[in-house]
Amino acid sequence: MLGALAAAAAMLALAACGSQQPRSAGGGRLQVVAAENFWGSIAAQLGGDRVDVHSIIVNPATDPHEYEPTPSDARAIAASQITIVNGIGYDEWALRLLAAESQPPHKVLDVGRLLHLQAGANPHQWYSPESVQRVIDAITASYTRLRPRQAAYFAARRRSFETVALAGYHALIAKIRQRYAGVPVGYSESIFRPLGEALGLKLITPYSFAKATAEGAEVTAAEREQVDAQARRREIAVWVLNSQNVTPEVRRVDEIVRAAHIPIVTITETLSPASEDFQQWQASQLRRLAAALQQAAG
Amino acid sequence: MPMAGAIRWQTALTALEPGDELARRRLGRGAAMSPHLSPDLVSDAQQLLAYTFMVHALIAASIVAVMAAVTGWFMVLRRESFAGHTLSVMAFPGAAAAILAGIPVAFGYFAFSGGAALVIGAGSVRRGRGGGVQAALTGTVQAAALALGFLLLGVYGGLLESPTSLLFGSFLGISATQVVSLAVLAVGVLAFFALVGRPLLFASVDGAVASAHRVPVKALSISFMVVLGLTAAAIAQVTGALLVLALLVAPPATAMQLTPRIGVSLLLSILTALVTVWLGLGLAYFTNYAAGFFITTVAFTIYLAARLIGTLAWRPRREMVGPRPPSKADGLRHASVEG
Repeated sequence: MLGALAAAAAMLALAACGSQQPRSAGGGRLQVVAAENFWGSIAAQLGGDRVDVHSIIVNPATDPHEYEPTPSDARAIAASQITIVNGIGYDEWALRLLAAESQPPHKVLDVGRLLHLQAGANPHQWYSPESVQRVIDAITASYTRLRPRQAAYFAARRRSFETVALAGYHALIAKIRQRYAGVPVGYSESIFRPLGEALGLKLITPYSFAKATAEGAEVTAAEREQVDAQARRREIAVWVLNSQNVTPEVRRVDEIVRAAHIPIVTITETLSPASEDFQQWQASQLRRLAAALQQAAG
Repeated sequence: MPMAGAIRWQTALTALEPGDELARRRLGRGAAMSPHLSPDLVSDAQQLLAYTFMVHALIAASIVAVMAAVTGWFMVLRRESFAGHTLSVMAFPGAAAAILAGIPVAFGYFAFSGGAALVIGAGSVRRGRGGGVQAALTGTVQAAALALGFLLLGVYGGLLESPTSLLFGSFLGISATQVVSLAVLAVGVLAFFALVGRPLLFASVDGAVASAHRVPVKALSISFMVVLGLTAAAIAQVTGALLVLALLVAPPATAMQLTPRIGVSLLLSILTALVTVWLGLGLAYFTNYAAGFFITTVAFTIYLAARLIGTLAWRPRREMVGPRPPSKADGLRHASVEG
């Protein structure tokens, strides 16, 4: 029995010698895998034609928290030179795939670690303009580390991404902030909080309610009462709904909001439609939010 | 940018420099995204072993298969499959508790399966080893443990890695440390059987006679239950809590269909388990679907085939021999059919 085990192990170990990490040579396109397409879209635009980006979660109908990776995801991550994960407990499956092999240093760009956020913090950092900026810096830095000779190219890509591609996104944020700062809004899921704060809106939904929605946890009776009352008494000007994570609890609040004729703004967790890029997607959501705020404010 | 999310492998291939020979081999024919099964077994094996994660998965699954085949063989012989199932589903509350405590999930598996094994083993010995008492105790422990697991998930409340992978397993993402710890455990489990295999076999086939021969039947059944618990916890790391029985029951049951000889039966059980996990993982790798399904289906198919062969090969011979006093080998066959 021991012999059979040892023989099997030895055989596989021998075979294993033939498989090592791909070395990153001086040239060629960088192979980048992003666990989710919001980071993938940014990485692709920053890399231009020197980088191939593959995003794993692209379907707006998938709940990224509960994604079950496939062997081809594992292959893509194994073959990549840079893997971008969100971290903060959002994509544990990707970290599990990464744990299967010894990684070369700097291969993994973990957004949570970059921002020094622990598990339990709000994982939806792509909804924070400030965090997005820091991820942009980090992505360009890893490209430059692996392809130092193309540093100028990556610097130019970054400049154009920040000043041209993201111009509309930043302008919309500034405009909403200027006109509607302090307006009380409600939101179904913690995903909107970073953006809501950046917009200067008054987020009056208890954070524990929004966090519970994101994590699929139970909502307490007191929280439910508060959220319902805010909607019934029309204390919120606008209700922001994450359509990619609608729990029965959220659906219930939704009905009250509808009955009270409060405008609803729908946002999504990942790029929607999946063919849009990060800034188009965010800008169209911001425009809808601006329209709803205008309708509410009159 | 509609193409932003897609990898253009063809361009990737042409852009690689000569130094990227290994990456080229992987990317070649789109291997990184879609390997394809061909009649060329060498090429299939090369594709299978091209990635460390797959090598880890195959080694871990092989280790687990050997443990499962041997422990399961005794389990089927002792008609303790229900206890085996209960000890496997312990992985669920075990994982939930470990996540809550912030320790590696595997610790939770071993603590809960081992603990439940002690309870079931000790509890059924004290009451006298009536099969009914053990089954009832086992069922009670199982229900309590599943409920506890559900409660622990509620207490944790945070984002939990998909429960599907806890229940149905994931062979992706097995680390080198995990492989080493499984190997160490397997050595321990196999050493246990090397040491007490003979008396355990005696006690399993006929407890009363073994007792009369001063074989420590009680101590053996408790310690076997603990070994069963540890084995189940190890298997659960690869197959998930619900599909443990595919490796724990099917291979020994297959072997017992084919031969009454103990040594041959054990070896056949190991061989069946190894073939099951290799085929199962291979099919999952090439088709991109869950390994649990393929492992279970392969195990079931082999069992069916063996049963067919067993029926065809055994009936006439038995009739030829005619009635005869029951032997150890008969005990084995009966256990396998009824257990």
